[in-house]
Amino acid sequence: MLSVSVVSINILIALLFSLGAAPILVWIERRVAGFIQDRLGPNRCNIKGIRLGGLIQSFADMLKLVFKEDYKPSSIKEGFLFSLSPVIVFVCSYLTFLVIPFADDLHIGSETFMMQALPLEFGLLWFLAFAGLSVYGIIIGGWASNNKYSLLGAIRAAAQVISYEASMGLSLVSVLIIYGTINLGNMVDYQGQLLFGFIPAWGIVLQPVAALLFVVTAFAETNRTPFDIAEGESEIVGGFHTEYSAMRFGLFFVGEYVAMSASSALIVTLFLGGYHIPWLNTAALQAHVNVIFVAIMILLPFGSYYFARWITKNNRWPQVGDIRNKEAAWLKKILLIVNILVVTLLGSFLLFGLSDDGVNISVAALQIITFAFKLLLVNFFFVWVRWTLPRFRYDQLQDLGWKVLLPLALANIFFTALFVVGFGV
Amino acid sequence: MGVKIVKREGKTLKERSYIFALFTGLRVTLRHFLKNLKDTSNIKTISYPEELPKDITPRYRGVHRLTKRDDGSVRCVACFMCATACPADCIFIVAQEREDGVDEKMPKKFSIDLLECIFCGACVEACPCDAIRMDTGIFTFIAQKREDFVIHKDALLKNKAMKGSK
Repeated sequence: MLSVSVVSINILIALLFSLGAAPILVWIERRVAGFIQDRLGPNRCNIKGIRLGGLIQSFADMLKLVFKEDYKPSSIKEGFLFSLSPVIVFVCSYLTFLVIPFADDLHIGSETFMMQALPLEFGLLWFLAFAGLSVYGIIIGGWASNNKYSLLGAIRAAAQVISYEASMGLSLVSVLIIYGTINLGNMVDYQGQLLFGFIPAWGIVLQPVAALLFVVTAFAETNRTPFDIAEGESEIVGGFHTEYSAMRFGLFFVGEYVAMSASSALIVTLFLGGYHIPWLNTAALQAHVNVIFVAIMILLPFGSYYFARWITKNNRWPQVGDIRNKEAAWLKKILLIVNILVVTLLGSFLLFGLSDDGVNISVAALQIITFAFKLLLVNFFFVWVRWTLPRFRYDQLQDLGWKVLLPLALANIFFTALFVVGFGV
Repeated sequence: MGVKIVKREGKTLKERSYIFALFTGLRVTLRHFLKNLKDTSNIKTISYPEELPKDITPRYRGVHRLTKRDDGSVRCVACFMCATACPADCIFIVAQEREDGVDEKMPKKFSIDLLECIFCGACVEACPCDAIRMDTGIFTFIAQKREDFVIHKDALLKNKAMKGSK
C-alpha cells in the first residue's frame, strides 16, 4: 500500500513537472518574450475575471488545439507515419523526464524509495537514448508530410542531430569521470559535498566546460533558438510541422516544451546540484529541519507581503468596473490563506515534533520544492536565451558542432582524466 | 589620395568566441525584463478598446463635422467648393434655398462617404466659410453595411470638436 502510493505520487510529480509544466512554460515564454521586447504579452483571457497574469490563455489555446478539426492533407501518402511522428516526439520527450530524481532516496520505516518516476539505475543512458530518439519523430514527420518545406526541415533536423549529438555525449563523459557513476541519484549525492569546506561541489563548479557544452547542446537537442533551424519559421514556413494542425501539431508543440523541461531537469541534476539546497545536503537537512521550518515561517510572510504589493501595483485593468479588477483582491486573499495554512502546519510540526519518517518526508518535500525552483530558473534561462539570440545558420551550427564543441569536449575529457588519474580524486 | 585604414572588428579571440557578446546580450534583455516585471506601467502599450490613445492632437484629421453659426444655423452655403476640391469625390451636396433667411443658400443634403474619403483635408482648405472641419479627433467608425458609412448632414452637424481645438 505504502509503496504503491509513493510510486504513484512520484509518477504524478513527474507528470506535473513535464506535462503539467507545458502550459505554464508556454505562458512564461509568451509573457517573458513580451516583457523583454517591452510588450505586454497575453493578458486578456479570463474566467470570470481571473486571469492569473495571462495563464488562462495557455489553457484556452490547448482547448482550441484539442477541438480543432483533425485535418490531414490528401497529398500525404504515408498516413501512418504522418500520425506516428508527433507521438514519437511527445512520448520520447515525456519518457526522458521519468528518470530525473527530484528528491533524495526516501526512507519510510524499513522501506527505501527512489524519488523518480522510473526507479532506474542507468538514468543518464536512458535520457540520452530517448532524447536521441525524439529527433526521429521530426525527421519522419517532415518526410511523411510530402511537402518540400517539411522535407527541408527534416533534412536540417538530421544535419543538426549529427552535429551536436557527438559533442553532447562526449561532454557527459567528462562528467561521468568525475562522478564515477551513471546513476543520476548518486550524481546528485556527490554534489551534496562541499569543496574546500565552503563551495558546494556542484557540477558547474567541477566541470564548467562540460556544463557550457551540455547547455549549448541541450538547446540544439530541444530544437530551441538559437538552434531551431528544423523549424525555421522565417525561412521554411514551419519546417517539419508545416502540414500539421490541431492536436497533431499540439503534440509537437507540447513535446517541445516537455523536452525543454526535461533538458532543464537534466542540467539541474548534472550541474546545479539537483535537489540540494546549497550548503545543505540531505543529512544536514535532516539534522536541521526545524531551523529550516523556522526560516520558512519567517521568510514566507515577508515574501508574500512584497508579492501582494506587487499584485496591487501590477494586476490592474484600465477600465473601471471591469470584472478583471476584482482579481487582485482574490489573489491576495488566497495568498493570505496559503500563508496561514503553511505557518500553522510548520508551527504544529515544531510544537509536537516529528517522527523519523515525518522528518524524512518533510525533507523530501523540501527537496522537491528546491528542485522545482531550480527547474523553473533553468527553464527561464531557456526562454531568456531564445529571446536574446538570433537563429544560427545551418552550416554555422555544423561548424560550431564539429570544429568547436567536439574538440573542446575531447580536450575536456583528456584534462579531466589526467586530473582524476594524476591526483587520484 | 590618402589611404584610409578601416579597422576590421571581430577578429580577436574574445570577439570570435562570442561568449562575452552573448552575456552582453543576455544582460540587455534581462534588464528590459526586470524593468517591465517590476512595474508593468513601464510598458507603453495601451489596452486599446478600454484605453484610448492620448496622442491625438487638434491637428489630427478625424471624421468631418459641419460647423454652425453663432445663432445655431448651418454655416455651409452649399457652394460646392469642397466637393470640387475633393480628390476622392466623396462629398455629395444637394443645395436648396435658405429657409432661415440668414443667407442665400444652404445644403439640403450633405453626405460624405467615409469609405471613399482619404482624409486629405482638401475640403477643409477649400471651404470659404469655415463650414467643414476635421477636428473631431474621431479615428474610428463602425457600421454593418456599406451604406451606413455614408454620413449625412445631421450626423455631421452633431459631431463636436475635440477638446483642445480652437
